[in-house]
Amino acid sequence: MEQTPATQPMIEALGLTKRYEDETLALDNVSFAVRTGQIYAMLGGNGAGKTTTINIFLNFIDPTAGEARIDGIVTHKEPLKAKAKVAYVSENVMLYPNFTAIQNLDYFARLGGKTSYTKNDYHDVLRRVGLEDEAHTKRLRSYSKGMRQKCGIAIAILKDAPAILLDEPTSGLDPKAGFEFLGLLTSLRDEGKAILMSTHDIFRAKEIADMVGIMNAGKLVMQRTQSSLAGENLEELYLQFMAGSVERAA
Amino acid sequence: MIRFIIEKELREIIGSTKFAVTFGVCSLLIILSFYIGAENYRTLVDQHEAAKRENLRQMEGLTDWFAVQQHRIFLPPQPLATLVTGVSNDIGRMIEVHGRGELSADDSRFNEDPIYAVFRFLDLDFIFQIVLSLFAILFAYDAICGEKERGTLKLSFSNAVPKEKYILGKLFGSYLALAVPLLIPILIGCVLLLILGVPMSGEEWARLGLIVVAGLLYFGVFLTISVFVSSLARRSSSAFLMLLVIWILAVLIVPRSAVLIAGRAVDVPSVDEIASQKNRYSSQLFTEDRTKMAGYKPAAGQDDMEKTMADFNQFMQKIADERDAKMQEFSGQLNEQRENRQRVQRRVALGLARFSPSATFSLAVSALAGTSLSLEEEYKEAAVAYQRDYAAFMMQKTGMLTGGRVMMFRSVVDEGKKPQPINAHELPEFVFPKPALAGTVTESLPDIGILMLFTIVFFFGSYLAFLRYDVR
Amino acid sequence: MFATLLQKELKSILLSPKFPATFAVCAGLLILSISIGIHEYQVTTRQYETATQMVTQELREQAHWSGVNNRTYRKPDPMQIFVSGVSNDIGRWSGVSQFEPVKLRHSAYSDDAIFAIFRFIDFGFIVQVILSLFAFLFTYDAINGERESGTLALTFSHPIPRTTYLLAKIAGSWLGLVIPLLLPVTVGVLLLVLFRIPFEASHWMKLGGLLGVSMLYFSFFVTLGVCISSLTRRSNVSFLLCLVAWVFLILIVPRVGVIIAGQAVPVPTVAEIEAQQDAYSKDKNEQHMKSMEAKFRDREALMSGMTKEQREQYENDHMWSWMEENDADQKQITKDIEAQGVKLQEDLRNRKALQERLAFSLSRFSPASAYQLAVMSIAGTDITLKSRYEDGLRSYRTILNAFTEKKQKETGDVGGIRITMDSEKGMSISAPKENGTLDLTDMPQFAPPANASVMPVTDIGILVFAILAAFGGAIAGFLRYDMRS
Repeated sequence: MEQTPATQPMIEALGLTKRYEDETLALDNVSFAVRTGQIYAMLGGNGAGKTTTINIFLNFIDPTAGEARIDGIVTHKEPLKAKAKVAYVSENVMLYPNFTAIQNLDYFARLGGKTSYTKNDYHDVLRRVGLEDEAHTKRLRSYSKGMRQKCGIAIAILKDAPAILLDEPTSGLDPKAGFEFLGLLTSLRDEGKAILMSTHDIFRAKEIADMVGIMNAGKLVMQRTQSSLAGENLEELYLQFMAGSVERAA
Repeated sequence: MIRFIIEKELREIIGSTKFAVTFGVCSLLIILSFYIGAENYRTLVDQHEAAKRENLRQMEGLTDWFAVQQHRIFLPPQPLATLVTGVSNDIGRMIEVHGRGELSADDSRFNEDPIYAVFRFLDLDFIFQIVLSLFAILFAYDAICGEKERGTLKLSFSNAVPKEKYILGKLFGSYLALAVPLLIPILIGCVLLLILGVPMSGEEWARLGLIVVAGLLYFGVFLTISVFVSSLARRSSSAFLMLLVIWILAVLIVPRSAVLIAGRAVDVPSVDEIASQKNRYSSQLFTEDRTKMAGYKPAAGQDDMEKTMADFNQFMQKIADERDAKMQEFSGQLNEQRENRQRVQRRVALGLARFSPSATFSLAVSALAGTSLSLEEEYKEAAVAYQRDYAAFMMQKTGMLTGGRVMMFRSVVDEGKKPQPINAHELPEFVFPKPALAGTVTESLPDIGILMLFTIVFFFGSYLAFLRYDVR
Repeated sequence: MFATLLQKELKSILLSPKFPATFAVCAGLLILSISIGIHEYQVTTRQYETATQMVTQELREQAHWSGVNNRTYRKPDPMQIFVSGVSNDIGRWSGVSQFEPVKLRHSAYSDDAIFAIFRFIDFGFIVQVILSLFAFLFTYDAINGERESGTLALTFSHPIPRTTYLLAKIAGSWLGLVIPLLLPVTVGVLLLVLFRIPFEASHWMKLGGLLGVSMLYFSFFVTLGVCISSLTRRSNVSFLLCLVAWVFLILIVPRVGVIIAGQAVPVPTVAEIEAQQDAYSKDKNEQHMKSMEAKFRDREALMSGMTKEQREQYENDHMWSWMEENDADQKQITKDIEAQGVKLQEDLRNRKALQERLAFSLSRFSPASAYQLAVMSIAGTDITLKSRYEDGLRSYRTILNAFTEKKQKETGDVGGIRITMDSEKGMSISAPKENGTLDLTDMPQFAPPANASVMPVTDIGILVFAILAAFGGAIAGFLRYDMRS
């Protein structure tokens, strides 16, 4: 695992702005930083700009202004180099339905540049994310949403990248699955990953995030460390910052 | 990197039920088409042999070559023609040879057995052209947009994967997964040809090989078109709809419309007009000659019957030759006019039709199988050459060529000489040269080139479209 | 209830991208095919007229009735604009004369093979191949697609009978397909009127029949699509099944049926039949020739002792009876040959009829071939077109031959050149004198066989049965359908 100097954030947004062709301002001068060993939770309603931010980090879109950096690499300038250091878990992990979990893992690990894994490694990581052994060789077609999310995180673990981006990974999971999922995240943080996660789940965010940001209408309207949130009611804060905002379609 | 993508593509396609079903159907059809082709070939050979035998049997018992009124030659069936029928069922197969005069082929298979014309044949050309192109579309219509809908595209590109590598892997992978398995039923089909005893020469195997190559190339065209459309469309359902429309256009509409447009654009004098002009000219010539014949007087004081006969033959021969020459000149002109117009029409029609890869493919394989439009011309040329041999033979046997019906009444029978029956097998045999490998390859090269061009264009089309594709 | 459901179906079809695509393709194709058909019809009619005129002209210029070698062309029928059937595959004309049997030869495709390469697109083809594909495209996800999107469960949280829902589904898709069919056909009908195609009442009725059968046909595909959809859980599975069904029903079954029948019931080729016929007639003619020779000898023998004057006198006296004698012989032979020809043709035709029956019954396992056979027989371009014409021509030939014979007798010439060789007199050639042109006014004319429209009851029955079967399948599948998404 690469060691990065503590001074440089692993995931960093600098004045990120995205204006679409139809003049909608999706992101307005957003800046934040996530360091190694940190979890950053982005809160916000639908259309606040959370997914747009993550898409810029993955270079699925280019920013209109500002920069997104992974380990100091500007994502829209050197996308491949940046992506080599990122693992990604989407809101609704969809894998190849005709492949078994092992086959999916194998393919995506190779795509991520990891070619030395053995079958046992795959089984181990699937066990780690909490998938029973008999499920490992089943086709993804038969998986439930929770099982698919676990597969998604397994793929992210296998990639062994220093930065992990998660786009509402717990939405639609039952409470137990959500709890287990967050346990995994904390253990990954403890291994020294920088984790950026967008979520709707205020309570869990408060529980595990080292840093919480609230987004509204493309702006980062609040950013606090976990310690500074200790005595506060995050839900109230959230509603306060969201007041008067109109939900927009993404 | 490309290797993983290709591997994944192979595994994804071959492991799916969709593949099992469609591959089963296609294999069944391919093997069936080989089997039908082989059986059909056997039937055709039997019919051909029977027709030839009957032709000779007619002459049995004749004691004089004079009395041979008609001699027929037949287009021999070709093994490859049953796999790629082309126009072989539409053109006339029988030609009556009289030793002189014009030849016209008649009795096309569809005219004799219109039952086959109702639904047409199931041959390799048809299977590739219609079924396999659909097969290609079915597997590649969601190659890109389907992965996007599933979300796997986003996950893949959260990795350091260059787009160009991904699309190349996708194209090669799906081609390998879909085209290579097709070789299995084709090989089984070839074995079937061997088992059923279809005589194929080395050159014919080579031509069959090229037909298969053209088929795989054509398959590639539809695969790249599908990937291209898939990387332009946002939703896989609209990609499929678009591809279906393209398929209908390419397979059904463009070829037919091209021919019909050419038919309207280029006027070709109808056969009837020409035939009628010829008839009138011929009867005019004959009327003239009739007076000459009526005026013929055998040399006076000639007692030698043989000599009189020879003189007369010579006379008849001379006027027939003259008539023939005039007729040939006249009809040659007419035919040339028609052929020239026809050629222009064909060029326009086929040129337009080649906008469709299906038409191009069909033309390429029928050229390779020797059942393209040139079959008609080649058959006619061979028949004309044969007519010369036949004329020479008849000249040698009878000393004259009338080219028509002759009725002889002999009021004196030479008791001394018992007339010997003729041996019909002495007749020169009509041999239709099998199209040469080099010739058919040259004929099909432009079409194969066009197929390659299609593949390249759509290959780069999908490449470029994918580079600009929004993977979200 | 039904109205609401139907409205929703229709709306969702009309608003989907499938509809404009279908409409554009069908409208473009149908109008193209009808206008091409009209043009083709006009061209072939012109050809037919000039050809017929030329034949008459040629006949008129003939000098002798014995040389009359009539050619009769097949008359184009305006129904071939819609269903060309086998009309381009079978011969366009037949010689009608004493010398040759009736046989339609030189098909349009063999004359211009270029048109054979890709064939024609006509109304029947478009409905059979394209419309059926669109019918599947409209209905493959009728049930399981709604399940996948979750609307099925929502709909059935209301009190709706399942059969009503199913009927509304089928009716909606059906209406969505009728529009792309009927509107362009209306335009096509206008074109017919505009181009003054001679459409009589019977033709209009046939056109109505074509449309009716076409609607039955795609009703089958709509119902089958819904049936497949209600028997499967996932729309991509039903989609695959529909495509496989389409390939089989439209492309495979009809052809395989014919090919199997071709293998099972071998039919002698025309070449074989003709050769048998030729052999027979050659045999007969030889007998005739021999008896003629014998007669000549007998007559010569009778006259052997006579002087030249006596001989001429004798010849003059007996010429008439000799001629009559020869004539009777000749007639007997012609009759025998013809009888033999009829017998051979009949054998052949029985064989062929058997083969056809087998082929068509096998291919009728697919409603697509039932449809094709139905529209061809309505349009009169089915496989019987050839035998109908040949029968008509054969009876015409008998009439015409009788007529020319009569004329020949009246004018008293036999035509041709006569070469006589005699060991005593040497050789002489006589060519009859010209006697100008022929008067054809009272020559019998060929009347094309009445194109009696046969109602293809069997095929319509098959289509109705297929629709009912598919509908039954759809109901059975849907009544047990698990609505959960």
